[in-house]
Amino acid sequence: MNNILPLIQNECIKVIKKKRFYVILLVILLLVPMFTYAQVKSAERNQGKFNDDWRLELQQRITDNQNSLGSDRIPEEWKQYRLIFIQQMQYYLDQDVNPNQPTGVNFTREFMNNAVSLFIPLLIMAIASDLVSGERTNGTIKMLLTRPVKRWKVLFSKLVTLVMFVSLIILATYAIAYGISGLAFGYKGFQLPVFTGFRINGSDVDVSSVHAVPQWQYLMMQAGLVWFVSLSVAMLAFMVSVLVRSTAASIVVMMAALISGTILTNMASAWTSAKYLFMVNLNLTSYLEGSLPPIEGMTLNFSLAVLGIWALAAVIISFTVFTRRDILN
Amino acid sequence: MNSSKWIWRVTAWISAIATVVLVVGFINAFQDVNGSYTEPSAAEDQITGSTEEENPDMNNPDEANESEDNNDISKEPSTVLPPLPDDIKITAIGDSLAKGTGDNTGEGYVRRSIQQLNENGRKSELLNNLAINGLTTEGLLTRLEDQGIRYALEKADLILLSIGGNDLFQGSGLVENGQAGAGEFSPEQLVQEIPRASERLKEILQNIRQLNPTARVIYIGLYHPFADFQELLIPGNIAVSTWNHAAQQIINEDPNMVLVPTFDLFQGKLGQYLSSDHFHPNGDGYQLIAERIAKGIL
Repeated sequence: MNNILPLIQNECIKVIKKKRFYVILLVILLLVPMFTYAQVKSAERNQGKFNDDWRLELQQRITDNQNSLGSDRIPEEWKQYRLIFIQQMQYYLDQDVNPNQPTGVNFTREFMNNAVSLFIPLLIMAIASDLVSGERTNGTIKMLLTRPVKRWKVLFSKLVTLVMFVSLIILATYAIAYGISGLAFGYKGFQLPVFTGFRINGSDVDVSSVHAVPQWQYLMMQAGLVWFVSLSVAMLAFMVSVLVRSTAASIVVMMAALISGTILTNMASAWTSAKYLFMVNLNLTSYLEGSLPPIEGMTLNFSLAVLGIWALAAVIISFTVFTRRDILN
Repeated sequence: MNSSKWIWRVTAWISAIATVVLVVGFINAFQDVNGSYTEPSAAEDQITGSTEEENPDMNNPDEANESEDNNDISKEPSTVLPPLPDDIKITAIGDSLAKGTGDNTGEGYVRRSIQQLNENGRKSELLNNLAINGLTTEGLLTRLEDQGIRYALEKADLILLSIGGNDLFQGSGLVENGQAGAGEFSPEQLVQEIPRASERLKEILQNIRQLNPTARVIYIGLYHPFADFQELLIPGNIAVSTWNHAAQQIINEDPNMVLVPTFDLFQGKLGQYLSSDHFHPNGDGYQLIAERIAKGIL
């Protein structure tokens, strides 16, 4: 056990020195200002309408959604989604709480809700996909494995490093999103209440268990779920990285899987067994928000179980393959 | 080598701390969604406190107040409408007519009348258009209990209301069968519907008045969309004018309510002013209604 720590240290320094992590930071630093700017623009456009009163605006949104319910052109699933949206917004109105108050914290929350199923996993992949296949591409894997260290220890150190960087990436994303959006919207809003605990029965929202949590706590819970998603994506990308020889191929495989997930969530409500695929279950934060799951019958525990099983299988496969395989060329 | 050591130390510590925070958050979220979350939060108290302070009357509408208000109104009827401010804030509520269904520009009489008003130098603006297609008096009564709708009505100086058309025509199956010639249409049934519906209209107007004691309420009277069907002309006329008369009588009770008639506008010119669904006005039809509304205010 003693000789594992130096291995982890070594892996860690490799990731940093290879500048992978800096690239990720750079990507976040470039993209978040874009989203912030878009938000500022849309806030500007809404200014002056509805007498600058969020209650009136929210009521109009409710009314517009109610009107669309009557149309036969709207698919049933959308109607259900809108019905739930209406009931939640109604609840916010009844409690006199603005759900969309423009603050840095609120922006961060919304941003992470949207980022959890594609953006964050992509960032994770940037590190995970390269971890093993990168060593193969440039041939350094031989150097690594000729040392008097057991193979599983080598792989394990890589895995631990990956977990560390998953946490770092999430932390960095939160910090940068908050830091930059705060410039535009102000840094306040940690104490604002957010409602959570909406339970969905068919198209009805059960508000009996709804409770308010201060936004900082909501952010923390959200981050925890984002972390779990990222971890399982990281494990899968790690497995692909072990199985595939080149980094490029491993990135393409994972990308295709993730993107197919976003397409499936939009289309798959009829194909119910798709819910056992990991990429449909990435949107864990929506359970916290209380929005309609993409496929009927999905709950937080279900998604956690699916992701957990996939991740566990990925780890097992990675280790068996890595310890047995011959390293050629 | 030295820098490597620092890199390792910093990343290790930060990631360790971050991981702990994230795990705590994850456990928290898991418990919260699964319902075992019990910790009372400060934010919860904060909200309930603030709602009680800010809108005490929104939460417990006074039944007693209502009858008092009505007594006041009937005791001292005034013939002159109280003046409206220059920047009128308008809330529209009601059925598809208020929504503007049938108008290709989507403006309806609400936006058109605001344009008319503003052409003459006013700065009136629309707060909310809360109209829902197919709304009946019954549906509107329940909607008036919604917090957001009450709020929008409270904030308005002028409330545009159109309701009743769906009670009269949808209830009798005319909208569905109208074009086909109205199979089992019975004028008796139509007229029978009116006392109950007008009772609800009275309740709606009273509720609005109770929410907003100073706003002017403009009610849009009904027209007869099926007057060009021979067999429907007379019974429909009777029904619509009975309804309009009932509405007028309710509105007479309140000095700051006005009924804008539309019956005469459409009666002879259905082909010209109705949209292709043969029920809602088209853009020109809405324009006529809007002009009437605006002229009454200017």
